[in-house]
Amino acid sequence: MSKATLERGLNALREQIDTPIALFFSSCTHCGMCATACLFYTETENPAYTPINKVEPLRRLWEQEYTLVGRIKKALGMSKPITDAELEEWKEYAYNACSLCGRCTMVCPVGNDITYMIRKMREGMAASGHTPEGLVGASTRAVKIGSPMGVKLPALQAQARHVEKDTGIEIPFDVEGAEYMLLMSSMEIMNYPEYLEAVSKIFNAAGKSWTISSEAFEATNSGIQIGSSDIARELVSRVVNAAEKLKVKTVISPECGHAYTAIRWEGPNLIGRPFPFHVKHILEVLDEFREQGLLKTEGFEDARMTFHDPCQLVRRGGVVQQPRNLLNMVATDFVEMKDHGIMNWCCGAGGGVSANEDAEELKMKAFNRKKHQLEELNVDTLVTACANCRIQIEEGLEENEIDMPVVGLTEMLAEHLVEDKKTGVSDND
Amino acid sequence: MNEVDFLLWVRGPGLAIASIIFVLGMTVKMFEIFMLGRKKNLAELRGSGIKEGFRTIITRSGHVDTYSTRNTRFTHIAGWVFHIGLFTAIFLLAPHIEVFKSIVGFAWPALPTPIIDFATVIAMITMLAMLFHRITNPVLKYLSTGQDFVVWALTFLPLLTGYMAYHHLFFSYTLVLGLHILSVCLLLVFFPFTKLTHAVTLFFARWYNGMMAGEKGVQQ
Amino acid sequence: MTEINNESQFRAALKGMSLANQREVGASFVEQVAYLADDERIGFAIRVASNKDAAEDELNAAHKAAKAAAIDCYTRCGSDADWAAQAGYFVARAASAIVTPEKDVGRDGPAWTAAANSRLARTCSIIESNPEAESQEAGKQYRILEDYLKKRV
Repeated sequence: MSKATLERGLNALREQIDTPIALFFSSCTHCGMCATACLFYTETENPAYTPINKVEPLRRLWEQEYTLVGRIKKALGMSKPITDAELEEWKEYAYNACSLCGRCTMVCPVGNDITYMIRKMREGMAASGHTPEGLVGASTRAVKIGSPMGVKLPALQAQARHVEKDTGIEIPFDVEGAEYMLLMSSMEIMNYPEYLEAVSKIFNAAGKSWTISSEAFEATNSGIQIGSSDIARELVSRVVNAAEKLKVKTVISPECGHAYTAIRWEGPNLIGRPFPFHVKHILEVLDEFREQGLLKTEGFEDARMTFHDPCQLVRRGGVVQQPRNLLNMVATDFVEMKDHGIMNWCCGAGGGVSANEDAEELKMKAFNRKKHQLEELNVDTLVTACANCRIQIEEGLEENEIDMPVVGLTEMLAEHLVEDKKTGVSDND
Repeated sequence: MNEVDFLLWVRGPGLAIASIIFVLGMTVKMFEIFMLGRKKNLAELRGSGIKEGFRTIITRSGHVDTYSTRNTRFTHIAGWVFHIGLFTAIFLLAPHIEVFKSIVGFAWPALPTPIIDFATVIAMITMLAMLFHRITNPVLKYLSTGQDFVVWALTFLPLLTGYMAYHHLFFSYTLVLGLHILSVCLLLVFFPFTKLTHAVTLFFARWYNGMMAGEKGVQQ
Repeated sequence: MTEINNESQFRAALKGMSLANQREVGASFVEQVAYLADDERIGFAIRVASNKDAAEDELNAAHKAAKAAAIDCYTRCGSDADWAAQAGYFVARAASAIVTPEKDVGRDGPAWTAAANSRLARTCSIIESNPEAESQEAGKQYRILEDYLKKRV
């Protein structure tokens, strides 16, 4: 990628300024309400973490170059220029203290989509080289190796073999004409191989054809996290090429939040054309199976459980009802958090925060918001559908000495799957 | 210049100049905003978002979650009370309606002046409370710039001078009325170049917000 | 004598065992890979699971410790994958399985879960060099189970 400079950064920001951005900056009245929606503010009370403050350099650029008074002031030498030092200071606000969770967007009384603004702000940060080291490493690995964590194909194949042995079902690689192409996040491949096993069992029982592309299996898009459209585009293109090559109808985004945002909503805009295939989150697909009678479960969990809504899936992704439909298939005692669905609170680790070593401490502080939500509720188990949220919550619960299992929804459904005796695939085999 | 000349100037040429600057300024502002455009969304949309956009214009005035509701109660209530008081004073006072009639050609019923008086007092008290809040609340202290205080004054002065005019306070009626109209002129002149533009842009901002969420199938 | 030469037989034999016995044989599986984690919490779990008379609070303590070990070992999102270290994560998961409280035991049972995670640990430890690591570990586990059942008879 090209060398980072301040001028490149400013140019990147200029490209990002559009009508919504101008409307938002024109409307902000400094009311401060966005702060109360942001868990990084509520758990630290650091006013610098107020969402609208995270885009202050972008605001000044807009004012100085896209408004009459701003341009006059600049011409008269009365405006404060944006500097490398300032952007370096803003690294903490735009990356450490923001997971792009979207709550500020929902709460702003004048209607500012502050998340949209911060995402665009990151483009300038990335182009000027003011990004956390962890994200740079992850992006570099993603571009060079194909995975932000350096997970190469042999590793995936080893996990696949393990799953095949467990289930007796083949994991289909590179099958042309399959209906679905599955993507996986490196986090899932490394830490939760049971996800792949669950998908394999469910699809087998449903009789649906699927495949994994050996050329593009990674779902995580580090480009989105760091805020580089160039990197994001490269990563999306690999998936698109593979999907087109295998002529699949639908690409499935796994249990990962930002992966969904990247491929489902940003993807076509990054490559400049609509996709010739659908993109669905695994929960959307499973809910469709449920509606079609292809997902049959038996037995119930009697533990009292609640659902943590991954921000990018629910609030920013629009997949709100599906996890609930699916959970209700196997739960007898499901209770919603007080702020749930599109207003649930972020786990604190998304949008690159968990990949950012500098944000380690802050991330755990932010988790206290989720802790409060759980304390209000009194449940035995927490269910979610994002590997990153899962790790963050497990770590947070551990740190706070709260004993509560965290379960992935797909995994939970697979555990209750009615095994088809006819095909001879059963737990007893 | 004596008081009468001052009043005649400010309600004649003064107001005219201010109005022209207001209209030109807002036109330039809207042009500056809308000429930027927005790239077409090429993702497979769940809806056009148009319905959600319009809905959000209304719903965004309410609250969305338990935590924010509890912690922004003052700002939320003060915002409502102040705006209602302000608009009551501007649009429902008989002499003001006369002015509007001369511009748009039609009028509407006025509210009794004592009620407007009451609304004005409430609005001013609320504004003072909001000023106190702005200088004591940590988030607002951090965010606030000189412009926030200038705009506060620009909004407060018409309310104050209007109140003074009605009650014939402190100065002669002619002078106070002149000051009242001058304060409105200042408000008009600064309007397009400060955050006061939110009065117009917020409808569009809320619309885009709702629309972009609606494209994904999310409605507040 | 029960012969175990494939997955079906392995799973069937495990399924027929009592919870206490599953914990014991599961502990043997974990022992094979414990060194990959080098964490005394693993040893603690193995000891507790191997002890037929272990009290409930001992089991709970061991379970908590093993879970903590798993969280300490997992690879952070976006960080460079260290498969050797990742092996420790799966060892901790295997250790956690053998001391899981009865009410939380999943469909597969503690012994099978421990076996699966132990194999994953083995695979991780030599993922780049030995693709057959998984099957070799499975074979070892078949022998361990055969011996265990022989002693029970």
